[in-house]
Amino acid sequence: MKNKTSFHPQGEACPSRCPDNSAFKQQRLPAWKPQLTITAVLSTFFLTGMFCLSVGVCLILSANSIKEIQIDYSDKCSDCSKLRENSSNWNKECHCSVNFTLKEDILGDVFMYYGLQNFYQNHRRYVISRSDAQLLGRNVNNSYCAPFTTYQNGTPMAPCGAIANSMFNDTVDLFYNLNSSVIQVPLLKTGNSWWTDKNVKFRNPKSYNLSSAFAGTSRPPYWQKPVYLLDEEDERNNGYVNDDFIIWMRVSAFATFRNLYRRVRRIRQFADGLPAGNYSFHISYNFPVTKFKARKHVILSTVVWSGGSNPFLGIAYVVSGAAATLAGFIITAIHLKLRKRKTYFQK
Amino acid sequence: MVFVKCMFQGIYSSLILFFIPYGAMYNTVRSDGKAIADYQSFALMVQTCLLIVVSVQICLDTSYWTVVNQFFIWGSLSVYFAITFTMYSDGMYMIFTASFPFVGTARNTLSQPNVWLAIFLSITLCVLPVVGFRFLKTQLRPTPSDKVLLKIKEAKKRPPPPSPRRHLRRTSTRRSGYAFAHQHGFGALIMSGRNMRPKSPFATTGTFSPNSDKHKHKGL
Repeated sequence: MKNKTSFHPQGEACPSRCPDNSAFKQQRLPAWKPQLTITAVLSTFFLTGMFCLSVGVCLILSANSIKEIQIDYSDKCSDCSKLRENSSNWNKECHCSVNFTLKEDILGDVFMYYGLQNFYQNHRRYVISRSDAQLLGRNVNNSYCAPFTTYQNGTPMAPCGAIANSMFNDTVDLFYNLNSSVIQVPLLKTGNSWWTDKNVKFRNPKSYNLSSAFAGTSRPPYWQKPVYLLDEEDERNNGYVNDDFIIWMRVSAFATFRNLYRRVRRIRQFADGLPAGNYSFHISYNFPVTKFKARKHVILSTVVWSGGSNPFLGIAYVVSGAAATLAGFIITAIHLKLRKRKTYFQK
Repeated sequence: MVFVKCMFQGIYSSLILFFIPYGAMYNTVRSDGKAIADYQSFALMVQTCLLIVVSVQICLDTSYWTVVNQFFIWGSLSVYFAITFTMYSDGMYMIFTASFPFVGTARNTLSQPNVWLAIFLSITLCVLPVVGFRFLKTQLRPTPSDKVLLKIKEAKKRPPPPSPRRHLRRTSTRRSGYAFAHQHGFGALIMSGRNMRPKSPFATTGTFSPNSDKHKHKGL
C-alpha cells in the first residue's frame, strides 16, 4: 500500500484485486464426484469376496503342502535342564539325544530352525541393549549396553549388551540311520542371514588378524568362548559376522519365534532332500530356559512362496471373502426390498 | 452418537491393523527360509498397512476428486516409500548409525508376497464395512440431500417432456414505454429479448444486468 498515496490517478480504473481467471484459482478444475451407486457397491463386494476366497484357498493349500517336524526337547532332555538350572555348572558339558522317524521323504530344500517359546526378545530394555557402532567395528563407548558394557577391571565386553550376552548356544547335529550305520547329515551354517546384515550392518574391526583386532576386549559373561573363536574354520563366518550371532541379534517381535539354524546340504544321499527313515538329533544343551518356564524346540521344515506353515493368512482370507460375499447378498436383498416398496407406493 | 461411531471405527481399525500383521507374521519365514518375524520387519509392516488404509479412507471421504487431490494422495504414498527406502539404505546407516538402525528391513520385507497379501487384507477389512455402512445409510435413512440427488438422477434418466409450441404473440412496442418516458424505460429490457417466450425455461437466467456496458446509455 506504500505506492497508493493521496495521489489518485484520474481517468484510470483501480487495479482489480480479484484473483486470476484461471481454472485453478477460480476452483473450476474438472472434478469427478464418486458416488456410492448400487452397481459400484455390489460389484466391489462381490469381486472382493471372490478374490479373497480364491487367494485364501491358494494360501491354505500352499501352507498344507509344507512338511514340518517340530520336537520340543526341553522336556526330553530334563536331566540337562536340571543341570543348567545351577549356573555354576556352566563349564560342564551335557549331551542329549532325541530320536524321530520320517515316514515319507521330504523333498526340496529342508531348513533346520531352533524355536523358543516364552522368551521375550521384544522387551523394551532388552531391545535397546546393543551397540550398532561397536558391531560395525568402530571403537565406541556406548551407555545403552549397561550393565553389560565393561567388567569391573575396566575391560570392555565385545560384543556389549544384553542381546549379545544371551545368545543361543545349543548345538544341534542331525544323524541318519542307514542300514545299521549312522551318518551325519551335512548341514550348511552360512548363507542363513540377510545379505544386508552380513555385509552392511555387521563388520569386524580391522587388523592383521582377528584375535588382534579384538585385543583388549573380553567375551560377554554368559559366553563360553570369545567372539573371534565363534567359527574357527571359516574366516568370513568369524567374529561379529558369524551367521548365528547375526541371526540372534535380529531380535524377534514375538515371544514365540524360530530362528534359522542350519540348512541341509544337498549332496550324496540327501541330494533330493531328506529320505524317509530313522533320524536322531544330538544336542549339546547349554541354554538354560527352565527358570523362566520357556521351552525349546528344534524344527525341520520346507518353505513355499507364501512363507511358513502358518495357516492364519489363508483362513483370514477365506473368512473375509465369505463375509464380503454374504454382505453383498444382504445389500442386494435390502435394495430389492426397498425398490419393491417404492414402486408399490408410486402405483 | 457421532463420537461413539468414531470410537467404534477407531477401535475396530486398530484391532485389524495390529492382529492381521501379527497373525501373518507369527512363526512365519521368508520364501527363502530366512527370518521375517523380527521386530523391525513387523513394525515396518504395521506402519505400511496403516498408511495405505488411511490414504484409502481419505479417498472415500473426498467429495470431489480434482488433480490437486490426486497429486496429494499419490504423492504422499510415494513420498512415504521414498523416505522409507532412503532411511533404511546402506549410506544412511554408515553416516548416522545410531539413528537409522533399520538398515535393510524395507528391502527384505516389502519384497515378500506374504506381506503384501496381509496389507491388502487389512485394507479390505478396514474399508469395506465403511463403504457398506455408508451405502446402507443412504438407502435406509436418506438425508434430504441424498433424496435430492436421487431425484436428479432419476430425472436425468427420463427424457424431458417436449415444450409445447405456440404461436408467439408480439405485443405492440408503441405502447410499452409510454408511462415511463421520463426514465430510460424498458427499452433495453425489451431489446434484450427477455420477454420473448424462450424455448427452454431459465435459459437466460442471470444473463441480464442493467449495469453492463451493452445496456449503458452514454450521456443520458
